[in-house]
Amino acid sequence: MDGIVVTGMGVISALGRGVEQTASMLLQEKSGVDKMRILKSKYTSLPVGEVHETTEELLDSLHYRRDKVITRTTLLGQVALLEATQMAKLQKGLLEGKRVAFISATTVGGMEKSEQLYHDFLYGTEHSEYIALHDCGACTNMIAEITEQDIHYSMLTTISTACSSAANAFLLAANLLRTGRADIVVAGGTECLSKFHLDGFNSLMILDDEVCKPFDKNRKGINLGEAAAYLVLESPQTAQERGVAPLCRYAGGGNRCDAYHQTASSPNGEGAYQSMIQALEEAGLQPSDIDYINAHGTGTANNDETEGFAVMRVFGDRVPPISSTKAFTGHSTSAAGALEAVISILALTRNFIPVSLNFKEKIDSLNFTPVTQTIRNAKLRHVMTNSFGFGGNDTSCIFSKL
Amino acid sequence: MVHQSHFTNNMSIYIQSVSQISVQKPLTEEWFDNPILPKEAFAQSIEPDYKQFIPPAESRRMGRLIKRAITTSLSALKKGGCEMPDAIISGTGLGCIENTEKFLNAVIDNDEECLPPTAFMQSTHNTISSQIAIRLHCHGYNSTYSNQGTSFDSALLDAFIQLQLGQIRSALVGGHDEMTPDYFNMLSKINYWRKEDVNVDMMRQCDKEINSFSGSCSLSMLVGTDHTENTLCRLADIELFHSPMPSQIRDSLFKMLHANKLTLSDVDAVVASYSGNPNVDRYVGHYLTQAMSEFPVIWYKHLFGESFCSSAFGIYVAAMCLHKRLIPKLLLYNPKDAEIKNPKNILVFNYFGWNPSQPNVSLSLLSI
Amino acid sequence: MDQLIEELKKEIIEVLNLEDKKPEDIDENAPLFGGETGLDSIDALELIVMMEKNYGIKLQNAAEGKEIFKSVRTMAEYIKEHRTK
Repeated sequence: MDGIVVTGMGVISALGRGVEQTASMLLQEKSGVDKMRILKSKYTSLPVGEVHETTEELLDSLHYRRDKVITRTTLLGQVALLEATQMAKLQKGLLEGKRVAFISATTVGGMEKSEQLYHDFLYGTEHSEYIALHDCGACTNMIAEITEQDIHYSMLTTISTACSSAANAFLLAANLLRTGRADIVVAGGTECLSKFHLDGFNSLMILDDEVCKPFDKNRKGINLGEAAAYLVLESPQTAQERGVAPLCRYAGGGNRCDAYHQTASSPNGEGAYQSMIQALEEAGLQPSDIDYINAHGTGTANNDETEGFAVMRVFGDRVPPISSTKAFTGHSTSAAGALEAVISILALTRNFIPVSLNFKEKIDSLNFTPVTQTIRNAKLRHVMTNSFGFGGNDTSCIFSKL
Repeated sequence: MVHQSHFTNNMSIYIQSVSQISVQKPLTEEWFDNPILPKEAFAQSIEPDYKQFIPPAESRRMGRLIKRAITTSLSALKKGGCEMPDAIISGTGLGCIENTEKFLNAVIDNDEECLPPTAFMQSTHNTISSQIAIRLHCHGYNSTYSNQGTSFDSALLDAFIQLQLGQIRSALVGGHDEMTPDYFNMLSKINYWRKEDVNVDMMRQCDKEINSFSGSCSLSMLVGTDHTENTLCRLADIELFHSPMPSQIRDSLFKMLHANKLTLSDVDAVVASYSGNPNVDRYVGHYLTQAMSEFPVIWYKHLFGESFCSSAFGIYVAAMCLHKRLIPKLLLYNPKDAEIKNPKNILVFNYFGWNPSQPNVSLSLLSI
Repeated sequence: MDQLIEELKKEIIEVLNLEDKKPEDIDENAPLFGGETGLDSIDALELIVMMEKNYGIKLQNAAEGKEIFKSVRTMAEYIKEHRTK
């Protein structure tokens, strides 16, 4: 067998911890989006997709002291990384001579701590140790420490393309494997909620004060969320040598830029269209081969319509079953691409199509409606997942059955 | 689709052009002959006339770093004779930190009320690459790396791999970081650089005192597979490492040389990321001694300063030495070394490790 | 009213960073958005923030701005009626 396979995945989000919990919530059609409980913002009426564990609970679960100098983004990342690497059996003794790379995505990084301690950073004498944890790269480096007993990462880096960040980690991962620069790559992303980006999205007036309604005619915007998710990618040969059963194939990806506006998509969704086409080309597939699309579907007026146009341009009048799972998880920005890759792979391997919650009425200008009832016993061969970011950073990935 | 088993490393990749805005004279190579030696620890970049590159109506919302990035991008494309790159890939450690601070201060000071949307919009790191794409109407691959001191190296590696695989034929690779007074002070607090005056002789002495200085970086580099009359040099290879043993660097060096049919004696010098900060330089020195002790050492942070993207200047300096067929005395770390004429192969070693037990390191090989 | 219009023109130039424009360059009856002004949805958001800061007017969603920001005059009329400071 040629190509690249997925041998492990790990996830933590508003749906809970781990792939089993995630699958169970999706199948029960239970959303994790709820009242704000952990983030200390004054906009408490905004629903959010919070991980329902406080930072203290996360610290305890990883056996850290409560005063450990670490950020929530990093803790979420560590939880997801542990699950992914354990599932893929990335353990001491099973990695002899294998180069393992780690690619993590984040945008907010340590901001959630910085916004609490900023005046200390500037004028005080305490908490200076958090200054070095503010930036994106600091998170990735520290996330990697959780697996240091088992894995020595040969290289690591951090991608930051806003809401498509984690999906781009898979594209780089695939290229590292194709050129033999790594034998195994752990790739994904992490992002915790911060006042900074909640207020930022609020200043753009694109947050919904109810649970979001992707692809609904009366959609009002986004619910922000937080999550971390990683995939383990490697060649089928490497997986076989290590005695690890692959979950599915990574068939291909596309990254294109809308090059239109910093926060708005072009009217015909050019970047989105091109990224889907490129992903299909790389995977060697036709549009008709795609059995499910996990849409970016943020619930904003602009995204859902332009993504819809782009989907119609690619798939014509045969748009495959499509849903946005953002009403389950909230929009976890830099982690979304990885979280939704995990959801797409769960759908692919467990033969179901998750529903697009809260949809009622079709968008007039679109020729399709999203999936409104969980489809069980779905025969899925290839699934596509879209991740689009500010600035028109558009990425699509395709995962296929073995 | 190209698979690992079919992969052969026979594609030549070239650095076509570079353009920079830094503490040296902007958009030129004047630093090569007449460098400015900064005296302040918070060294300021020299701003070019942006109006020549960006009409005021377009730039009204752009922060300083975006203006710099677009200007160096347009300048590099012009020098390299390229109108539209296949990819735009940037490295930035902090993104548009000026706008990030503006928004963060507003969140804190105004108790989350009346916040400036433009500042938020520009605070995300990918704004730089996407604003360049919007300016060029470039729909190609677009990405951003933010991995502290190896942000630019990661961007260059991504471009290099895509060129090797034939996915693209050209890429505009950037390293862009600005510095603000507040962030300068924060990083002084954690001993990243000196707080006051600096001079080059102090920087060379790798003793107890911190003598590194802050210099912002905006550098755009056009890389591609076509050899043209403008081509500066060949980028033979680039590799990233996470907490490597020096012996791994040595092994990798031999592999790189072997793949390019070179031996140790073909290498003229190694560019090293010495910064004047003994907490860092001692590790740089350790790697050099253990893995590359036979080569004269070039440095560049005495001219360009320290920033998350300063490693971009390391590649740039090597490329210019090859292009100008000279390693001038002012770039040599050891004051006793004489200038080197007609260099043919130069290594670039970059080390970043706030946590010295887990540094990120890159090794590149540039050839004529 | 005329005084408010003049005040608004200055504020718009400042908030939207229209460096190359003077207050007299802005026609209070001409459309603020669309056409040749080059203003977009982000500028509208900046104007919404400005109205809240300077005049104590809070809009619930960006769509409300469409009518208000038709011209500097419509903006002045709306502010005159709804201002709380």
